Amino acid sequence: MKRIFVDYKKCLACKACETACAVEHHPSGNLYAALGDRKTQVNVRVLGIEHEAFPLSCRHCDPADCLNACPSGAICRDPESGAVVLDASLCKACAMCAMVCPFDAISFKQTHRSCYNRDVAYKCDLCNGRIKAGDEPACVSACHSGALVYTENDAARTQRASRSLRSYLLGEEVPPPLLELFRELRRKEFARRRGGL
Amino acid sequence: MKIVTVGTGMAAAEFVQRLRLDGFRGEIVMCSDENFAPYSPCVIPFYLAGEPLDTVFWKGKDFYRHYRVTPRLSDPVVEVDAEKRIVRTVAGRAEAYDRLFYAAGARSWYPCPEWLETQGVFGFKTLTDMVAIDEYIKEHNIKKGVVFGGGFIGVDAALALRHRGLDMTLVHRNNRILSQMTDKEGGQFATRKLARKTGIDIRLKCTVSEIVADGGQLAAVKLSDNSMIETRLLIVAIGISPNSEPLCGHDKGVPVDRQMLAGAGIYTAGDVAVTPHAVTGETGIYATYPNAMQQARTAARHLLHGDGQYAGSVNTNVLKKHIDFPIVSAGSFTGETVTWQQGDIWRRVYLEDDMINGYIIIGDTRISGYIYQLYLSRKKVDSTIKKVLSAPRHDAYYRHMLGCGQEP
Repeated sequence: MKRIFVDYKKCLACKACETACAVEHHPSGNLYAALGDRKTQVNVRVLGIEHEAFPLSCRHCDPADCLNACPSGAICRDPESGAVVLDASLCKACAMCAMVCPFDAISFKQTHRSCYNRDVAYKCDLCNGRIKAGDEPACVSACHSGALVYTENDAARTQRASRSLRSYLLGEEVPPPLLELFRELRRKEFARRRGGL
Repeated sequence: MKIVTVGTGMAAAEFVQRLRLDGFRGEIVMCSDENFAPYSPCVIPFYLAGEPLDTVFWKGKDFYRHYRVTPRLSDPVVEVDAEKRIVRTVAGRAEAYDRLFYAAGARSWYPCPEWLETQGVFGFKTLTDMVAIDEYIKEHNIKKGVVFGGGFIGVDAALALRHRGLDMTLVHRNNRILSQMTDKEGGQFATRKLARKTGIDIRLKCTVSEIVADGGQLAAVKLSDNSMIETRLLIVAIGISPNSEPLCGHDKGVPVDRQMLAGAGIYTAGDVAVTPHAVTGETGIYATYPNAMQQARTAARHLLHGDGQYAGSVNTNVLKKHIDFPIVSAGSFTGETVTWQQGDIWRRVYLEDDMINGYIIIGDTRISGYIYQLYLSRKKVDSTIKKVLSAPRHDAYYRHMLGCGQEP
C-alpha cells in the first residue's frame, strides 16, 4: 500500500498542499469558489513550529484507532487503497474518533459533505478517487519542494531506516545547497524573533 | 456448531460480523427483545433530532440476511440453562446452543416504575424508546420537555430534543451535570457553558419527586425543591442496570475472564460484562462502544482460533452531539492536578507517580487524542504536561517529535 511521506526538512511552508487539497475537495473543483467559502474543507495543515514546518494530515494508521472507535459506521478502510475514509452521511460528529487520534488529524465543521446542516468530522481521504485511478494525492502533486512523497509504505520505511543508520554512522546527510541556505535564513529569522531584536 | 447470541446490540453484531468475516459457516441465531436490525445506541438520539432512521443501522439494515443469521426478535430471553445449553424466552421458545454469546446490554433504571404507566413518561435507552418518543411528540405537538438525570444519557436526550426545537429543562441531583465524567470544577465549568450555549434550563441539586397526570397523560412534574414544571413529556435517564439476570440471577453484571468467557461455552461482552480496567485493573462495567467492540472481537477470535486475550477496558468517553462543545474525559480524578483554561477551553490532567491518572478536556477535542495515548502508554509526563496543555496551537506532539521549539 502506498502512503504519503513527509520530509519536513524540505518543507518551505508554501501551503501549496493546503490550497490543492481545498480545491480537490471543493464541489466546484475551483480555487476561486473555494476561497472565502466557510464550507471549504482543508484536510492537510502546514504547522509551523519555530523554524521548522510540517504538513500534517491523517496517516491512515493500520490498525486505526479512529476506525475502531466510530460507533456510527462512518469510518472504514478501502480494501483496495488502504485509505481510512469517512462517510459524512453516516457521521454524527460524536468525536469518538477525535478523542483517540494521537495526531489530531480529525476536525469538525459543516462541510459540503454535511447532509443535515450540522458539523461533521472531516479528515484526509488520501484522495481516494485519484489514487485508485492511478494518480497521486492532490497535495503531493502540488508539492514543489519534494517534502511530500507518495510511495510504497514498506519500501519507504525500510529505506528510511537504513538511511538513518547510515547518517548515524557516517554523519548527517547534507540537503541541496539552496535548501540548506533557505533553512539557515529561516533559523536565523526565528532566532532573531526569539531574541526580540 | 450452532451459535446463539442473546442481544442484537453493538457487541453481538460485531461478534457475528467477525465470525462470518473469519469464515465461520455454522448456524447463528440472534435473540432480542426488540424488533430491529442491530442499531447503534450512540446514533439513535439523532433520529429524534430529525435525521433518518436508516442511519442508526450502522452495519446495514439487512444485517441478518447479509450475515446469514436467524433472528428471533421481540421475544426477551428469560433464562440461560448452562447445563443443558438452552436459552429460554418469554414466549416459551427454547433455543439450543453449542456456544452462547451473552450480550444482553443494559436497561434504564426507574426510581418509580409506575410512572411509565402515565402517557408521556419515557426512558431513553433503546430504539423502541426513540420511536415511541418521536410518535408521542408528533401526535401531541409537544413543545417542551423535562429530562430527569444529567448523566451522559440525560444530557444527550436534552440536546437531541433541543435540536428538534423543544424547550428543555434538565433536572439533576448533583451539583453539576455529567458528574461521573467530570470532577467538580470541570463539571461546573461545563454546566455553565452548556447552559449558556444551549439555553437548556438546568436545575441542579434537585430531583423529580412526583408526577402529575391528567386523564392518564402527564401534565406536570413536581421537583424536590417544591417547584412545579408544566410538561407533557418527561424523560427518565437517571441510571441503567445490566441485564444479567437470565444468566446470573442478579443485575450486577457478568464477570468474565481475559478470553471473555463467563462459563463453559458462554462468552459475554458489552454493557453487561464486568471487565478489568486496562490501566488500573479495577473491575467494573465500562459501557462504551470501543470496549464492547474489542470484547466482541476477543470473543470471536477465541471461539474460532482459541487464542488472544482482552487487554482491558478504558473508561474514556466524549460528549459532543448536537453541539460543538465537546467534553472528553478518562481515568480517575485523583492525584496532583495540572489545569489550563482559556475562553471556552478547560483542560485538567491528574498526575500520580508522574503519569497521567485521569484527564478532563472541555470545549475542544484538540490534543485529547495525544493525552489519551500518553495516559494509556503510562508515559512520565510531569516535566512536559504543562506545556502540552497550554501549547498555543495545540501542537505539543509535533514539537516533541521534531525536538524543536522548546523553551530555552
